[in-house]
Amino acid sequence: MSRRLLRYLDWPVLVATLILVVGGAVVLYSAVQNSGDASTLVRARILHAVMGLVVLALMAFIDYQTIARAWRPILGTTLFLLVVVLIIGRSSMGAQRWIALGPLGGFQPSELAKLALIITLAKHLDGHKELTSWRDILPVLIQAAVPIALVIRQPDLGTSMVLAAIAAVMLFAGGAPLGALGAMGAGAAVVAPMAWRILHEYQRRRLLVFIDPGADPLGAGYALIQSKIAVGSGQVFGKGLLHGTQNLLHFIPEQHTDFVFTVIGEELGFVGAALMIGLFVLWLWRGMTIAAQAKDRLGMLMAVGAVGMIAFHLFINVGMTVGLTPITGIPLPFISHGGSALVAMMGATGLLLNVGMRRKKILF
Amino acid sequence: MENQQPSRRLFILSLIIGMLIGILVVRLWQVQVLQGASYLRQSEDNRIRDYTLAAPRGIIYDRKGRPLVSNRPAFTVAVLPLELRNPAIVIPRLAPILAMAPDEITTRIVSNRPRLFEPVRIKRDVGPNVVAMIEENRLDLPGVIILPEPVRYYLHGKMAAHVLGYLGEVDPDELAARQVEGYKPGDLIGKAGAERAYETVLRGIDGRLRMEVDALGRPLRVLSRLPAIPGRAIVLTLDLDVQKAAYDALVASGMQAGAAMAMDPRSGDILAMASIPSYDPNLFAIGISPKAWQAITTDRRKPLLNRAIAATYEPGSVFKLVTATAALEHGIVTRQTMFDAPGYFQLGQWTFGDLRAWGRIDFITGIANSVNVVFYTLGYRLGGEELAKYALMMGLGELTGVDLPGEINGTIPSPSTKEQLVGEPWYPGDSVNMSIGQGAITVTPIQVVRMLGGIATGGQLMQPRILLMTYDRNRSQHRADPFLQRTVPFQASTLAVLREGMRAVVERGSGLGARIPGLPMAGKTGSAENPRGKPHAWFAGYAPVGEPRIVVVAFVEHGFRGGISAAPVARAVLHAVFPQPADVEVPR
Repeated sequence: MSRRLLRYLDWPVLVATLILVVGGAVVLYSAVQNSGDASTLVRARILHAVMGLVVLALMAFIDYQTIARAWRPILGTTLFLLVVVLIIGRSSMGAQRWIALGPLGGFQPSELAKLALIITLAKHLDGHKELTSWRDILPVLIQAAVPIALVIRQPDLGTSMVLAAIAAVMLFAGGAPLGALGAMGAGAAVVAPMAWRILHEYQRRRLLVFIDPGADPLGAGYALIQSKIAVGSGQVFGKGLLHGTQNLLHFIPEQHTDFVFTVIGEELGFVGAALMIGLFVLWLWRGMTIAAQAKDRLGMLMAVGAVGMIAFHLFINVGMTVGLTPITGIPLPFISHGGSALVAMMGATGLLLNVGMRRKKILF
Repeated sequence: MENQQPSRRLFILSLIIGMLIGILVVRLWQVQVLQGASYLRQSEDNRIRDYTLAAPRGIIYDRKGRPLVSNRPAFTVAVLPLELRNPAIVIPRLAPILAMAPDEITTRIVSNRPRLFEPVRIKRDVGPNVVAMIEENRLDLPGVIILPEPVRYYLHGKMAAHVLGYLGEVDPDELAARQVEGYKPGDLIGKAGAERAYETVLRGIDGRLRMEVDALGRPLRVLSRLPAIPGRAIVLTLDLDVQKAAYDALVASGMQAGAAMAMDPRSGDILAMASIPSYDPNLFAIGISPKAWQAITTDRRKPLLNRAIAATYEPGSVFKLVTATAALEHGIVTRQTMFDAPGYFQLGQWTFGDLRAWGRIDFITGIANSVNVVFYTLGYRLGGEELAKYALMMGLGELTGVDLPGEINGTIPSPSTKEQLVGEPWYPGDSVNMSIGQGAITVTPIQVVRMLGGIATGGQLMQPRILLMTYDRNRSQHRADPFLQRTVPFQASTLAVLREGMRAVVERGSGLGARIPGLPMAGKTGSAENPRGKPHAWFAGYAPVGEPRIVVVAFVEHGFRGGISAAPVARAVLHAVFPQPADVEVPR
């Protein structure tokens, strides 16, 4: 059984993931090298990576059909934790995102929500082969909207966007009529102004400076300007690992979390950035192949969900450092500091490998 | 797959993702490869912070090497706009420490807006308490820095204010003109006096401390250090003792306004140039407060005005030296010529007055007692054109070219210019009036000084000067050469009579008040009628007679009589030059 599974293990995805995690840890070390608690952060990263590997293995080897059947407890736990975090959560920059876990640090239920959404939505959509009537689509939408609403309440705009993107990608792949998808987009546009009011002042300013970064060069636009300087100044080959001045001198806020790509851009240059993107492309391309070759609709949807999540993270995160996308705090998969995200991303990788290992033989 | 639909949708999804990643890569290429060099430069600027090391200005010495202006160490509180992340909190904290209004601080920062990396000076010369308070609260005052900046120190305050001048922050017009010379907003520049005249000598070249800093602006290490090059020292022709005597005597005269000068007629060296009312240039050294500036500039007594060179007055009887010279040169008068001086001069229906009736007197006595009638007579015979010609020849009514800013030239009227300017003919009465230095004629005290120098030296008009020498960076001296402007072609006989008459002024005439026993000197008093009040008082003289080494001119606005209020000032100046007149050897 397990030999057959290993034969179908998608090595490129696993190898790309491991290179990103290990290489990411090195970059992360560079980002925190003179922060005073570098060793603590590195140790945390190793611990999280090990945890991530365990979750990856679990998610890979437990048959995804089995996992999908447990969708009720998964959804229930996730929603429960999302509510709990709103009540007792630790706040950071004005948003309540963490549940304290003692020596393990904090746990972000919103990261779990991403994985949970992929599983539960896949299960849900699997039950509706035809998504033609509103009666089929509406329950799906509600199921996605509840966690999104809870995450917005924190408020965590970035993660809610990720959840929405996952849902959209999976609905699209699941065959939802384009009219329904368009209506959802329109609905989101209507709801957006309400979300605007929930956002904190700094989050609003971040969105505004995306339109005009020069407006407030010392305030909200500062991060964007400094991160562009960092990435741009890396030029083709970078300033050398551990030698980025923007990085060393702490010109970039959140440089080990949301802005960790600036360290890659500055220290490893365009070559390093392209290499990293290449690894992601490999991961995504294999992911799409796995989706296409999945044994069943459930597996296809799970794989697409994972691909959509990683792709969205990558585009938004790297894009914001070079002014392509607004600054919304979402991590760079496998690399940004943050255990919950790493574990969730590796869990998604495991799920992808799971689908890949159980694909049926290629017929054509 | 069961149907074609999902795989088509997956294909579309792959395309979308591929496109997004393509956009990402293109954008990275653009930022890192195409614009990389520009961002690299910005990142260099980011981590490098240049601190200006203020170059001390050159010290100003008197001719005997005593410092008149130096620098004292001081601290300036400044703000780095880029690091002032939270002005709404920091400025209200800083304001009470500096005893300033928050608005005032904000205004200063805003005026420096486009230059985020340059420190904006908020307050110069803060006391040690302020420095300590800011250092203690450093963490609560991000972006506030303390710069060690020397402050100009005028050792003698008001005494030589007008000669030395003062400093002020370079104003926008000057800045536009002098940016190439490296002036930056907030820099101090000489605004008046020697500080302005020798700005390029005195000004040093600021050094630079290049530091690597982190994002909070905290210095991490010194990358390079370009030491400041101090400004060059200059030595003025002033003699501190004489200057002090001149200033003190003016103040002691009890009058509101006036000027006193002493000059070596052989070289043009100005030993003293005092003007009252005066001001304390130290007030300007730290960037004068708007209130104090307002008070000084609106003061009706005009304390900033250097009355020795930048104000013109009727010369009064001092002008009789010109009338006498013209008459002697023309041969219409000699030493022995006798005059009837009944106390008035009749010209047709006009009567010109005199102090009193003197009876029948010779020309020397006429000079000694400044008898108006004598000069009315001569002026009437000479005519306005001749008087004007000799006045100009002897250096009145034209700039002396002294190396100080702001000199003005005054007016010497003549029949031709009067017709041109006023459109009225020159009446004979104008000549009579002009012969005693009244009417439209105005001169500056320094012109009178130069004229006296000409008489003293036998005709040489030396350009008055304030600069004796400059030191260059390796302390070697560069002497400024005296400049002979021209020689007035006095006849020897003319000079002899003039000198005898002027000697008599001090020995037995109107200038007794200037007399120092044992010091042979010559002089002339003047009381200049003017429409603004009591006559201005003049005394102009030189000493020792025979071997003149010093010309002195004292002028007191509304001092009434030269012999009463101006002569004692001149005497005090001379006393400072010749403390022991008995030692002064004079060939008889």
